[in-house]
Amino acid sequence: MLRIKDVNLTKILPIALILVILVFPPYFLSVYYLTIVRNLLMWIALSISWHFFSGYTKYISLGSAAFFGIGLYFTAKYLQLSTVGDFPVLPLPVIVLLAGLVTFALALVIGLVTLRLRGIYFAILTFSVSIVVSNVINWWEITITGTRGTYFPLFDSQTAYYAIFACTIVTLLLTTLLRRSKFGLALKMIGECEEAAAHVGVNASLYKTLGFAISAMLIALMGGCFATRLSGYVNTDMAFESLYSFLPAVNTLLGGMGTVYGPIIGSITVSLLSEYLRVTLTHYFLITLGLILIAIVMFMPDGIMGIVEKIKTTKLFRIEKAKVPEKPP
Amino acid sequence: MFSLIAVGLNLQYGVTRILNIAHGEFLMVGAYVTYVFFTSYGVNPLVSFVISGPIGFILGILIQTVVFRRIVQVSRFAEELESRSLLACFGLTFIIQNVVAEIFGSTPIGASYLNVSINLLGERFQLNLIVAAVMSVIISLAMYLLLRFTSIGLAMRATSEEPSGAQLVGINIFKIHAVSFGLGALLSALAGSMLVMIYSNITPYIGPQYTFIALAVIILGGMGSFIGSLVGGFCIGYVYYISLEIDPLITLAVVYSFLIILLIIRPKGFFGR
Repeated sequence: MLRIKDVNLTKILPIALILVILVFPPYFLSVYYLTIVRNLLMWIALSISWHFFSGYTKYISLGSAAFFGIGLYFTAKYLQLSTVGDFPVLPLPVIVLLAGLVTFALALVIGLVTLRLRGIYFAILTFSVSIVVSNVINWWEITITGTRGTYFPLFDSQTAYYAIFACTIVTLLLTTLLRRSKFGLALKMIGECEEAAAHVGVNASLYKTLGFAISAMLIALMGGCFATRLSGYVNTDMAFESLYSFLPAVNTLLGGMGTVYGPIIGSITVSLLSEYLRVTLTHYFLITLGLILIAIVMFMPDGIMGIVEKIKTTKLFRIEKAKVPEKPP
Repeated sequence: MFSLIAVGLNLQYGVTRILNIAHGEFLMVGAYVTYVFFTSYGVNPLVSFVISGPIGFILGILIQTVVFRRIVQVSRFAEELESRSLLACFGLTFIIQNVVAEIFGSTPIGASYLNVSINLLGERFQLNLIVAAVMSVIISLAMYLLLRFTSIGLAMRATSEEPSGAQLVGINIFKIHAVSFGLGALLSALAGSMLVMIYSNITPYIGPQYTFIALAVIILGGMGSFIGSLVGGFCIGYVYYISLEIDPLITLAVVYSFLIILLIIRPKGFFGR
């Protein structure tokens, strides 16, 4: 576990400083830039949560949208029902936590059944789960309750910002702590070679399932916080949009799989790039984004962190840093 | 028709190990090509197969040689290749969708053809559905014969089974990759041509939905198994239409639940190796 003497101040300080700076934006940024920062934080948190499981174990999950949507929907539904008076009124963080716990339980079950599959099968399966959940809720709404979507009370933009900010911090802290524990090591080992991990006594299925569920819970927490930035209405198409499944994966792959900063850098790049292109090349922005994606895969296949690693291993830097972590052959 | 889309995707995955998420996009392109020829030159959609097919083929080969060839070369192991090609396919999806949307706009199109009902065995069918079904069977059969009895088919099967071995006996695997990618795109484009005859709600954004149906089909049938794709296509199609009868809203949920249950029971599909 994390001990005080392990903490490297030069590493911690800049991060803490950035976090402190991020507390204040609502007071001086205009609404537009506030939205950008908020979305940035959201994608960072989602990518980190995704990477926590899929990045280390290399089980590519494309079902994030399911968990994001469940968190979002649960929160919205609860808010709606508590204003009507069916459920006791609770503060927002408690509701979001509840949503997280519900998703945790659900993901535990899904993980138990599905994590026997590997590779592309697992990806398809998780994607199917998100489609099934979305369609069942949609069907339930239209045929049983007779309405489409859920209405719930509005939140102002400051609450939305702080909710998402808080959620990002929770995600960062939890994944960092877990990564440094035995748990994170076990996940990494499963990613390197599952058979060997099982052989030396790592309970692979337990760790996989738990890791999957924790990752799902964090995604759902963000989903719940996301409810605060919507304009009081949500339906299944919005909540379960497949973007939430794919973009965390794309961000992470771009930033670099299996690295600590990969998902963060990837999300920042993709979000800012798409925002910039959206403004400057309104019509051709998705085309350009696609071209850039392909170019990245073709010319810097290890992601941005791969290039950073390469620079580190060149002669200039080798002197001060003797031991560069070797990539497995 | 689901089979047809899936056979193409399966061919691409089986031979090149690239899971082409942009597969549905070729279908959409095929549909648009047929639509353009139908509305502006009055070309019979069945005849325009000879146009949309080759266009898909050329597009597929082009993309394979320009993009994926390099990715295959720089990737060290299969996992890396899979994740990178996934990312590239995403980019591709964005590009193709939006180029088409830029040119044709995003209003739904359709080139309704042979849209009359006929009686067959006491049931009413739409003629174009039957034509599409018959065409699918013919094309699948042609594909099977190509794979089974020609030398290029043999080379493709060899490459899918043992790439390095195939290279050793003198097969140019990059050429084979390109050809199979092109053929996959061709099949997809043909399916698109048929789709545009039947439905009138084709937009530039329909691709992904068919990609995932195709994925479901090949997983059901077994990766890399040709017969599996056909059988899987029929199964998914059957489940799809039965649930459509019961309640259109629940269709996707039923199809994917079916897939999930099958994956859990038999992870390699019906005919998986």
